Amino acid sequence: MIQPFTSDPLRWVAEDGQPIGELPARFTPEVLRHLHGEMVRAREFDRKLVTLLRQGRTTFYAQSRGMEATQVGLARSIRVGHDWVWPYYRDHALGLAMGVPLLDLISQCLGTNSDPSRGRQMPHHFGAARQNFVSVSSSIASQVPPAAGNALAQKYLGVDEITVCTFGDGATSEGDWHAGVNLAATAQAPCLFVCENNQWAISTPLRAQTASASIHVKAHAYGIPGYLVDGNDIVAVMEVMSHVAAEVRAGQGPALVECLTYRVGSHSNADADAEKNYRTREEVDAWVARDPITRVERLLEHLGDPITAEERSGLIAATHREVDEAVRQAEATGQPDWRIMFEDVYADTPVHLREQAAFLRAEQTGAGQTGGRA
Amino acid sequence: MTATEPRPGVQASATSGPRTLNLIQAITEAMREELARDERVVVFGQDVGARGGVFLATAGLQAEFGERRVFDTPLSEASIVGAAVGMAVRGLRPIAEIQFADYMGPGFDQIVSQAAKIRYRSGGQFTAPLVIRTPSGGGVRGGHHHSQSPESYFTHTPGLKVVMPSTPYDAKGLLRAAVRGGDPVIYFEPKRLYRAAKGEVPDGDYTVEIGKGTVRREGSDLTVIGYGGVMPDVEKAADALATEGVRAEVIDLRSLMPWDRDLVLRSVEKTGRAVLVSEAPRTSNFMGEVAYVIQEQMFDQLLAPVMQVAGFDTPYPYVQDRVYLPGANRIAAACVRALQY
Repeated sequence: MIQPFTSDPLRWVAEDGQPIGELPARFTPEVLRHLHGEMVRAREFDRKLVTLLRQGRTTFYAQSRGMEATQVGLARSIRVGHDWVWPYYRDHALGLAMGVPLLDLISQCLGTNSDPSRGRQMPHHFGAARQNFVSVSSSIASQVPPAAGNALAQKYLGVDEITVCTFGDGATSEGDWHAGVNLAATAQAPCLFVCENNQWAISTPLRAQTASASIHVKAHAYGIPGYLVDGNDIVAVMEVMSHVAAEVRAGQGPALVECLTYRVGSHSNADADAEKNYRTREEVDAWVARDPITRVERLLEHLGDPITAEERSGLIAATHREVDEAVRQAEATGQPDWRIMFEDVYADTPVHLREQAAFLRAEQTGAGQTGGRA
Repeated sequence: MTATEPRPGVQASATSGPRTLNLIQAITEAMREELARDERVVVFGQDVGARGGVFLATAGLQAEFGERRVFDTPLSEASIVGAAVGMAVRGLRPIAEIQFADYMGPGFDQIVSQAAKIRYRSGGQFTAPLVIRTPSGGGVRGGHHHSQSPESYFTHTPGLKVVMPSTPYDAKGLLRAAVRGGDPVIYFEPKRLYRAAKGEVPDGDYTVEIGKGTVRREGSDLTVIGYGGVMPDVEKAADALATEGVRAEVIDLRSLMPWDRDLVLRSVEKTGRAVLVSEAPRTSNFMGEVAYVIQEQMFDQLLAPVMQVAGFDTPYPYVQDRVYLPGANRIAAACVRALQY
């Protein structure tokens, strides 16, 4: 039974990989292998991006290592390209699992001409219109009120869609989070709020973020159901998300799902020494032992269909080849030139921007004035 | 000039005769007609429904169009503006009301981080054409939380369009243009003119192009440039100068972002003198940008320094409400200084 407001995370697979009770029928070994493959792909993408970062080929990257079950499980629980997603900046596993092309993602991280967002955002802040995956904003929780509005519009239009809004635990401290959840709740808009509670907002631990026992209990105050799920158990994530998404889709109003997980890596390259500065090795090790990918591997062992070492290394190698090829293709398109800086500010470029663009063109071609401005 | 005569910035001619409306009636009428024209248009905010807005700008709209099209929201500017962004991204044409411009603070991040940026940051994949209507300015004994003029915060933010009408004709035409355009528009309503500004408005469909100013009166001795709530005082000052034989050209900018540089420069080229009037605090006032462009483009042709008449750099006061505002005398005095330079 999937009930809101539990004190223990909803879980279908124990940390040692043993199913708790009967495994839902849809989780055949074949399906589990597919999910495992998607999580491994996301993790190896992570590793490759950290490498690119160290090589100076990109300037920022926010790892999601350890959070794959939450994001892949969410992606598999919604109707991709039909539902709308207002994500946060650590959601590349979600994006990948939703079918955002690897080339687009890499291109965004590298700011090349093949970047659909045209080099306007810092790396790892991507968006994809085909997947209704709305471009990420760095401003924490600022996606929450628009997600509520997106859901309001869906209700207004009478379409069979829902809106999914993801955020970290830190976002729940922002006023925008409360404003957005409250609005969606009062309007009974079809919005599924997903907290990827990875325990840390850069160096601020959850206990300094909130005095609540958990995030999902906050839903109670807004009059909507809140669910707590083991975010490292992809079976649990999919079971709960599917159940809750169906209720939201059926017009029962918004809901909040808190996925209890952990950011194993640092927040970004800005805090590479996370363990040294604000976390303990013991804490990280304890969460590594609950790794979502390992859990599925152990589950498959229990089901008598283990993933072989060759299969695993084959998956890893395939992802690396895929990423390398995407990097090659992206870099081959070159970097956008100065012209794009003045486009997409408005629907039509106003005269003052056209003049400023002309000024920069003259400067770039060596024919520009040296003082004043456009 | 009558309302039905062709004039710069008017994109469609009226189909029937003019009527006299006040500013807020024109705003209400624009919303009513846009709601009727386009199912995607929705109007919402705090108290806009049954109450019809604290100034009654949305009076009758919920009764006419229902709670689905015109509705109240929780008291949260962040959610009002943020919801407008999400609605616009999903294909609606939201008109959000912020009860007073002074209360845009809690919605500020939604305006500058989301509404203004989503087109740019997504490479045009997602856009947020929306309108945020809000009463602004002083003169109603409201103190500093009901009288401020925060337009410069928003003209400083690329991606936003900013307008402020001073006549019913422009109010209706600009609001229609804002609803039909492709960008987020901050639509400031000079609240002291809601019922004080009356004028002819045609029955037919017309828009006033965002980015175009207008010449309110022609003159050759100096150019007085203003927008919004100060315009009646600018006109009074021009009247007073006229009794002394001074012919002031009066320009109403109407749009601040983008603004009509050509109109301003053409006029100052003719007169050689410019007096800029607004009631916002002087420092970093939008008119500083106008002054900069005039001096940069016309330094050799200026007969006097560009004068600025503005609010003071204090929080907007309650008791000294009318003293704070520029007023016709202060505007006329600045004009005399320019003329005597």
